Amino acid sequence: MSIAILLIVFVVLLGIGVPVAFCIGVATLGALLASLDAGPALATMAQRMVSGLNSFALLAIPLFILSGVIMGQGGIAARLIHFAKCLIGMVPGGLAFVNIISCTLFGAISGSAVAASSAVGGFMIPEMEKDGYQRNFSAAVTATSATTGLLIPPSNILIVYAIASGGVSIAALFIAGYLPGLLVALSLMVVCGIYAKRNNFPSSARVSLREAATAGLAALPSLFLIVLVIGGIIGGVFTATEAGAIAVLYALALAWGFYGEITRRDIYPILLKAAETTAIVMLLVATSVAMSWLLAYHNVPTQVAEFLLQFSDNPLVILLIINLVLLIVGSFMDMTPAVLIFTPIFLPVAVQLGMSPLHFGIMIVLNLSIGLCTPPVGSVLFVSCAIAKTTIENIIRPLLPMYAAMIVALLLVTYVPAISEALPRYFGLM
Amino acid sequence: MFTALVAQLDKGFRFFLASLIALMVLCVTWQIVSRYVLGDPSQWTEELARFLLIWIGLLGGAYAYHVKMHLGLDILSNKLTGSKKVLHALFVHVLVILFSAAVLIVGGLRIVQMTTELKQYSAALEVPMAFIYSALPISGVMLILYAAIAIIETLAPQAMED
Amino acid sequence: NEDEGVTRLKIGHTLDPTHTVHKAMLVMDKELQSLSGGTMAIDLYPSGQLGSERELIELLQIGSLAMTKVSASPLESFVPEMKIFNIPYLFRDKQHYLNVLDSEVGQALLDAPTAVRLRGLGYFDAGSRSFYSTKKPINTPDDLTGLKIRVQESQTAMRMVSSLGGSPTPVSWGELYTALQQGVVDGAENNPPSFYLSHHYEVAPYFTLDEHSAVPDVLLMSDYVWQHLTAQQRQWVQQAVAVAVQYQRKQWQIDTEHALQQVAADGVTIIRPDKSLFRAKVEIMLADYEASPLGDTIRAIQEVR
Ligand code: NA
Ligand code: NA
Repeated sequence: MSIAILLIVFVVLLGIGVPVAFCIGVATLGALLASLDAGPALATMAQRMVSGLNSFALLAIPLFILSGVIMGQGGIAARLIHFAKCLIGMVPGGLAFVNIISCTLFGAISGSAVAASSAVGGFMIPEMEKDGYQRNFSAAVTATSATTGLLIPPSNILIVYAIASGGVSIAALFIAGYLPGLLVALSLMVVCGIYAKRNNFPSSARVSLREAATAGLAALPSLFLIVLVIGGIIGGVFTATEAGAIAVLYALALAWGFYGEITRRDIYPILLKAAETTAIVMLLVATSVAMSWLLAYHNVPTQVAEFLLQFSDNPLVILLIINLVLLIVGSFMDMTPAVLIFTPIFLPVAVQLGMSPLHFGIMIVLNLSIGLCTPPVGSVLFVSCAIAKTTIENIIRPLLPMYAAMIVALLLVTYVPAISEALPRYFGLM
Repeated sequence: MFTALVAQLDKGFRFFLASLIALMVLCVTWQIVSRYVLGDPSQWTEELARFLLIWIGLLGGAYAYHVKMHLGLDILSNKLTGSKKVLHALFVHVLVILFSAAVLIVGGLRIVQMTTELKQYSAALEVPMAFIYSALPISGVMLILYAAIAIIETLAPQAMED
Repeated sequence: NEDEGVTRLKIGHTLDPTHTVHKAMLVMDKELQSLSGGTMAIDLYPSGQLGSERELIELLQIGSLAMTKVSASPLESFVPEMKIFNIPYLFRDKQHYLNVLDSEVGQALLDAPTAVRLRGLGYFDAGSRSFYSTKKPINTPDDLTGLKIRVQESQTAMRMVSSLGGSPTPVSWGELYTALQQGVVDGAENNPPSFYLSHHYEVAPYFTLDEHSAVPDVLLMSDYVWQHLTAQQRQWVQQAVAVAVQYQRKQWQIDTEHALQQVAADGVTIIRPDKSLFRAKVEIMLADYEASPLGDTIRAIQEVR
């Protein structure tokens, strides 16, 4: 009953054009009122919204959004892009490749897809627009490639899975994530390559070695930002979230003190812009955490799984069904609760079919990371839209072929165990 | 007069939001500095940063509504014209007012009241949890105010001029 | 929450389904169903699906959740008396600790939360907490000097680590594996099953059984939900809890030994230090608390045989 209310209210309000955060909020509230007394329902909704925001890991979002804004306005991004263009710009669609590589690199080190999309998208999308790329296309590239970092270590979501699975080694999972993560990045590059050919995407003129070297030298202090962030995280000097603050301070020092491209007067508008973008994402996080809670509270995931699994006993078909369920779930639900709820449900089934828990972990994380950039609920999608100042319906069309590429990668990972297991085996971890 | 008041409120609110973000950067930085430079890890920075994020998320959510930044599908509203468009806009604003009143103000005040009466304090900073949760009703009031402004703008655009 | 005439009690907790407490709750469900002739049952939500410990406690107070299991530590901010469990070396030994839980003092501590819309229903055993470290073994308290040790969100726990010479560093439980691996902290403290189930042994190869504190888990119930039950239903709940508690305490012993065997087999060095060295460094804390308003409770505990 309450789930019917949730779905109907949500779909109707979304169609009418109510902001998504409020669609989710009102629909969840309606469903809560149908299952609890009014007092507890209202207080529970309010508490879930606050607890959704009460997470240190989420802080990476405002911090990297802020550093992204500073990099964009302070000439750091421009120098990096100029250098990258000198290297790869003569390839048609080269900037799209630069975007994918940056997102993968950044997602890998920060372990947060939202951080990657906000940091990289913040400067890449405007730069790509200057070069004639459509905003919607750039936002789609950013959103999808930002999720690769969830598979490439360090990754909090893999740790969450290891704990939920009750027996998979985190070290083995970390090693296992490299190839699938790179596979997704590669498949996205293929899409961009085809797109670039079809649409005659811009390619810049070939540059001289001297010019490239000059650009590299000019970009050196900016490149050091990446070294600082990666080095700091890997060296254990600070956590991925804390790296956000370091990125902000270094970017500020560089743009204000060294390049002189921003002044004291720019600081206030920069802070405000970051606050605004952050808030759009945060209100969505708050209401969708409340919705995830409601779904779990009514055992919806379990019931859906039980319903679907009665259809077949063929392993290939069951794995397909599991993937389908996870894709649907990922569309509506945040990743962490989805992993926590579905691992205990699907893992025993997968193990029965002969799948290793390690392999299953990579599959579920890859699957749910697609959900991060699908509507209606997808934090990475929201961040990318907010940064590109575009709407969800506009970004969908360029996203379609990228979803297709990610699903191809997902099917490969699902049916070819070696992609996940070869490296851990080589290193003697399984 | 009304416009001037709104502008003043807006200005103050924006300044508050920007300050919260700046404070958050300083807070996380202090966490690193206290651990390495001072060798005495700060006990409260992690918690303060999380609480700042709650405030930025909820209050900023109200502000983002004001500047019409929230994401939604606008296929329908783009097609509507005249009085239908006005009715549509009114529906959305009234819905936001109802949600804010019910969840953020009533639900929020319930938790604020509960945590006050039960003397709940946060673990590290030992500040009342009621203080953290008060972001809910404050955000609710701001959302209702901004929605009311939007309704006035829709019904009587001339009231917002001069 | 009544559908088809069955009263379903929703229990949320933050442990994973392999933990003894979860297994005990399954026993509780079975017991409750049979006592009530199928008119009462339990829905279980493990792994923090419904929220963190503090949030689950708030949901009990709000009335949207029936029960939860929390460590006594996060209860400190709700029920100051719970601070005593984090006082290092408060109990003489394991038997003294279990006797205290089942004594009048233990019952009084369970009843304390009623003032805050919560009811304590029973204690689960959570064993003794010990240190583990990543880089070097902790043989004596001196080895803790300068080490950044992750502690629970508890003032008493932080003070204990400081008194031993370490730097207490708050890191959330979920981020601890990475924090240990990357050297953000040099060690942490917990009971053997948690050390094993969290995989922290993969990155922290030294486990020092100093057994500095014994913080039990408390099974809490929402007073709002409790008020909606009949006298008969309340009696069934209490009977089912008693059965589950007995089951859990036996199972905990088994799981503790299993965890120690497993981590040792995985190459973890298990150190059995001279506990009196650790005790000497923190005796002052016990003395301080004896002079505080909690002094009466502490003396009552010391009188328990
Ligand atoms: Na990563
Ligand atoms: Na989605």
